[in-house]
Amino acid sequence: MAGKMTVGQSIVFVATLLAGCGRADRIVVGSKNFSESDLLGEIVAQQIERRTGLPVERRFHLGGTFVCHHAITSGQIDLYVEYTGTAYTAVLKFPPAHDADSVRRAVTAEYARRFGLTWGKPFGFNNTFAITVRRRDATRYGLTRIADLARVASRWKAGFGYEFLERADGFRGLADAYGLRFSAPPTAMDLGLTYRALAEGKVDVIAGNSTDGQIEALDLVVLEDDRHYFPPYEAAPVIRQAVLDAHPEVGTALALLAGRITDAEMRRLNALADVEHKDIAGIARDWLQAPRP
Amino acid sequence: MSLLAFYARNAQEVLGLVAQHLYLVAVSTLLAFALGIPLGIVLTRRPAWQRPVLGLANVFQTVPSLALFGFLIPLPFIGGIGASTAIVALVLYALLPIVRNTYTGIAGVDPAVREAGRGMGMTDWQLLTQVELPLGFGVILAGVRVATVVSVGTATIAAAIGAGGLGVYIFRGVAVVDDTLILAGALPAALMALAADGLLGLAERRLAWRGK
Amino acid sequence: MTAALEVRGLSYELPGRGTRDGGRGREGGRALVQDVSFTVGAGETLVLLGRSGSGKTTTLKLINRLLEPTAGDVRVAGERAADVPATKLRRRIGYVIQEVGLFPHFTVERNVGLVPRLDGWPPPRIAARVRELLTLVGLDPERFAARYPHELSGGQRQRVGVARALAADPPLLLLDEPFGALDPITRVELQREFQALEGRLGKGMVFVTHDVREGLRLGTRIGLMHEGRLAFLGTPEEFRRSDHPECRAFMAAA
Ligand SMILES: Nc1ncnc2c1ncn2[C@@H]1O[C@H](COP(=O)(O)OP(=O)(O)O)[C@@H](O)[C@H]1O
Ligand SMILES: [Mg+2]
Repeated sequence: MAGKMTVGQSIVFVATLLAGCGRADRIVVGSKNFSESDLLGEIVAQQIERRTGLPVERRFHLGGTFVCHHAITSGQIDLYVEYTGTAYTAVLKFPPAHDADSVRRAVTAEYARRFGLTWGKPFGFNNTFAITVRRRDATRYGLTRIADLARVASRWKAGFGYEFLERADGFRGLADAYGLRFSAPPTAMDLGLTYRALAEGKVDVIAGNSTDGQIEALDLVVLEDDRHYFPPYEAAPVIRQAVLDAHPEVGTALALLAGRITDAEMRRLNALADVEHKDIAGIARDWLQAPRP
Repeated sequence: MSLLAFYARNAQEVLGLVAQHLYLVAVSTLLAFALGIPLGIVLTRRPAWQRPVLGLANVFQTVPSLALFGFLIPLPFIGGIGASTAIVALVLYALLPIVRNTYTGIAGVDPAVREAGRGMGMTDWQLLTQVELPLGFGVILAGVRVATVVSVGTATIAAAIGAGGLGVYIFRGVAVVDDTLILAGALPAALMALAADGLLGLAERRLAWRGK
Repeated sequence: MTAALEVRGLSYELPGRGTRDGGRGREGGRALVQDVSFTVGAGETLVLLGRSGSGKTTTLKLINRLLEPTAGDVRVAGERAADVPATKLRRRIGYVIQEVGLFPHFTVERNVGLVPRLDGWPPPRIAARVRELLTLVGLDPERFAARYPHELSGGQRQRVGVARALAADPPLLLLDEPFGALDPITRVELQREFQALEGRLGKGMVFVTHDVREGLRLGTRIGLMHEGRLAFLGTPEEFRRSDHPECRAFMAAA
């Protein structure tokens, strides 16, 4: 799974430990504790290795947002992949906002001013909450947008993860924004189990994450957030300005990744890691080597 | 926010979740007794079943709860989401200590005593109810105690399948990184486990026959 | 008058292991008791003597059907044992087992009153019977009735075991090395008391022992078991004079 190091990673890890504190010309890449973050961290790390020849140290699966943010501001890591909406609400403590461009501009300005950190260009996908239904139902009832849900909601059952039910930008606001009234209060359950419950017909609508591999694997459909209720969660590398100054070639290498991963592509990569349990380094290598249009 | 302030503000919800938790534990452990004790007795009469049955109960214990829920969701009648699925999982987890201790408790009765009972003309039922169960009672009760205490703890996972209980606070707290919430669920669960342990320990000392 | 116990051609083979493959395990088919016949009249004590492993306990269990004979016939007070439900049969046969086997969670009173209770006697009658029996085996009911087995000495436990076997006034008593685990002094004391009881009770008794002296003292007749067979059957006097090698071996040990 995502949390385990491969032999290759372990060797690199041990080697970098042995290399000691002389980290002058090594780039330290961190990641959060879930597969998507590990995958993006590995893609970034391999890209830097291939394009710049600089040695890269991986400090993956560190923890949540707070841990990674602390690590990069204290200089323990040089870069990691963050989501704009998370930086906006969780780090900068702004109230949830709904426009992707203004959120991106705000975090870019504030991170540079407050932390000396630079936001690279987003990879292209948006990992936000995804209101998800069975493809069969979407076809039968003609559902493409969340607004369409209002027609069937009164007969439907919803199952949501605890985070979605609790968060300010979660269920309560959504129900207000779209006027959703379900037949019963949503069932609170484990996020992973909501996918299973949806596929088995025990609930009719769930809130997943738009890049979850299960969406493809279980033949589900994500409804479009036509009223732009959910804050944008665009993934982009966050890097220490000092590192960019010393190694401008790193910035060039990262810029080549901008806009290259769509929602569907990220879902596919996540499915390789989470559903097929492929090794992260291998998935990243294959993705970087694949010919691109 | 301090824990006490949280409880004061959410007293009604807390009591509701505690009641749900108690319900899950009570129903699942009673079902586990109702299944496990007869099953343990059957094993003493059919020693050949002992390995497969105890092995299976052992396997249930090692299945992670989310995986178990995953298996249960598609099943008709016992599966789905909500309390019934959580209860099925809790029963499966509680079965091993009850079956095993019932079996060991009865099998541990001095064979000479059993032989004497049969030799005096007791029927199998009389032997079971008047000799084997009373003499094995202490060991059986110890199994019941373990099962109940463990159930109080594991019932927190019921929140993963929409069955409520004190796990709701723990899951919510984990989701929004709020230690007070986690504690608000974990603390009463821990106190309930201690209370169950204490009460059943008392029952064990009071009721169980202790031989020399 | 019918004999308390009549045994004809009694045999017991261990059941073959696994009937499905038709094969027999190592122990399968081994005969533990072979063609044993004897009669015990009322007031008579047949001592079954033999080395350990010679089949004495097995023979007793075949009589009260803790084991089902593979061949032969047992009659208790004239009735075929096989025709009576096993539990009912056993309540009519007093049984004192080698390890006593008192119920540790019952008082002496409940232990002794067990069979009458199973037979549904009214409680006052059981209480009276228990007092009578405790007195008979030399235990003061006032002091002992309410005690638990672990509050008794080994000799006292054996007395309770005998009282329990006598409780429902069975015509036949089976005793399996009842004094085997006692110290020599207590043992002789109990043997003496038992001897005094034998005549008074007027029951048929089968008394198993591997101790020749005990056997000669208590038996009206001696049956010598050897490798599952009854190698000798006769009076103590005949036993002393027998030139059967197994009898001589036992006499030499005495
Ligand atoms: N259930 C059994 N399975 C196999 N062998 C047995 C069993 N019960 C007794 N035996 C064997 O039968 C023989 C007679 O045993 P037993 O009647 O207990 O002897 P005794 O009472 O004379 O010492 C012994 O060799 C013993 O090992
Ligand atoms: Mg014996």
